Amino acid sequence: QLDRGCALHTAARDGLSSVSSQHVPAEKPRAVFHTSESDPAKHTEQHEGRLYNIPLEEVKAVFPHGLPYRFQQQIQTFNEARVMVRRPALELLTYLKGSNFAHPAVRYVIYGERGTGKTMTLCHVVHYCSRQGWLVLHIPDAHLWVKNCKELLQSSYKKDRLDQPLQASVWLKNFKSSNERFLQEIKTQKKYMWGKQESTEEGRPLGEVVEQGLARVRSASDAMGVVLKEIKQQSHRGSFRLLVAVDGVNALWGRTSLRKEDKSPVSPEELTLVHNLRKMVRNDWSGGAIVTTLSQTGSLFKPSSAYTPQELLGKEGFDTLDPFVPIPVPNYSPREFESCYGYYLERKWLQHEKAHTEDGKAELQFLSGSNPRQLDRLAGPL
Amino acid sequence: VCVPVTARALGDSPASLVPCRLMPVRWSRYNPSYLEPEVKTESYQKPLEELTEEEKEQMELKAVRPIKAAPPTISSSVFSDPMISKFINMMMKSGNKVLARSLMSQTLEAIKRKQLEKYHKAPENEKETIECNPYVIFHQALKNCQPIIGLSNITRGGKTYQVPVPLTDNRKRFLAMKWLITECRENKHRRTMMPEKLSQELLLAFNNEGPVVKKKHILHKMAEANRAYAHFRWW
Repeated sequence: QLDRGCALHTAARDGLSSVSSQHVPAEKPRAVFHTSESDPAKHTEQHEGRLYNIPLEEVKAVFPHGLPYRFQQQIQTFNEARVMVRRPALELLTYLKGSNFAHPAVRYVIYGERGTGKTMTLCHVVHYCSRQGWLVLHIPDAHLWVKNCKELLQSSYKKDRLDQPLQASVWLKNFKSSNERFLQEIKTQKKYMWGKQESTEEGRPLGEVVEQGLARVRSASDAMGVVLKEIKQQSHRGSFRLLVAVDGVNALWGRTSLRKEDKSPVSPEELTLVHNLRKMVRNDWSGGAIVTTLSQTGSLFKPSSAYTPQELLGKEGFDTLDPFVPIPVPNYSPREFESCYGYYLERKWLQHEKAHTEDGKAELQFLSGSNPRQLDRLAGPL
Repeated sequence: VCVPVTARALGDSPASLVPCRLMPVRWSRYNPSYLEPEVKTESYQKPLEELTEEEKEQMELKAVRPIKAAPPTISSSVFSDPMISKFINMMMKSGNKVLARSLMSQTLEAIKRKQLEKYHKAPENEKETIECNPYVIFHQALKNCQPIIGLSNITRGGKTYQVPVPLTDNRKRFLAMKWLITECRENKHRRTMMPEKLSQELLLAFNNEGPVVKKKHILHKMAEANRAYAHFRWW
């Protein structure tokens, strides 16, 4: 693996291919932290701490939403998307490879302190599943559905529920762009009425339901509910595997900061999107897996020191998600830190002269506490 | 401004034994026996044999003399830069140093991103000409904005004349930083963030373009035009 990574590394560099043998020994120690294996299915413990490349077209296809903002900026600056292979992600991948899809879906909850890489672990798993050809239901941040909503419509389907047309239409658009071929294959099993005139017949492809939701923004939340229901009912047949990836699942049980017109607070059950998503996260279906992440950063009314599932989910959420497989994500190990530091140096992200010295590296490690987010924020101005 | 000292004021004076009757109130003054603190960690890591005679004497002196308190603005971090600290202090409003520092770090990051994008898109022969280090760009931009000669108002016979006058280094640095900050605060769109505008201005000043360098040139031209009054200066 080392030689393969090194060779591809030197081949990919412009201008160095002419100067061959003298530079190869100098390149080798720097290229240790790269790996040429860009298929997550083949990642093993050997690749732990190394960064693998995702081609940019694949990034646009697999992740229309869901990557953290700072990572998107990094992709644009470095012109490449490099994700570190870490132990929690490898663990999750082994569980997914060995799981029996005839049994009910297993729930995995990724938790950890702030900025340790939970969302990136989720994205790694999503990339693996999309490479394997699964249908990926990726909700980038459930917290966006329970706060800062400009338009709340009363649902036409159920009287006491509230619709969120904007959030639903944005999600439907991203879902359509990442899962095109499944929308043609999966057929509806029931007739659905959208208002008085429009309806979708039985046996039509799901793509039509999504088009309906995008065309008529008022019924976008109901369209999303229909899509989720159909996918869940048909997943046990085995024609496709389903991955439900939710980031910030603790938003589904808790409080919202939204208010109705009479200024009374809205509880999460009254929102159509949250109600439908809760049904997806229950383990009464088979033929796939549910991978979720807890997040304190966007959460409402939770103290900033809370990171465990018990604290963030609350009693109701914990009882609903129980039993689940908890996957803790720690800060960088010394090897992972070396690899991240080396990558920044190689991409010329650390420009300060002192950052290249041992003192600078020790200072960065101390100040960031090996926390990935802090390291990224510190290395920004340097 | 000095205040006639009473017995009580002498008691709460900060760590000094000033025998004079009048005590300066605005800047605290240490007894001359107090030594400056040494912040750089490199000087403490040298083994005993490598020290020169003067350094050994200095070390012995430090064992007996009291040392002033280190101000909170200097740090022993290898990444600290006094010029950047000065700039942050000038950007600070109503003591909000946290905000000023974060704005500065966002500015440096923005400069780095813009330059790195240009670097990665440029062809091979142009890559060396593109400077990506935000600190180098910042220092060069400030140097390019510093005026060489200034104007001062001198009144002779009832009329005030603008007289060309040499500037000290501190005054030059101050003027450069002040012009940059006022330019970024005033001439920008309501919705543009300060880091974005500042990074733009710094990159323009690095290339000797932009409104701040233009202001410096206008000042030089005014000084050149008023050369006749240079003899009014008596210092």
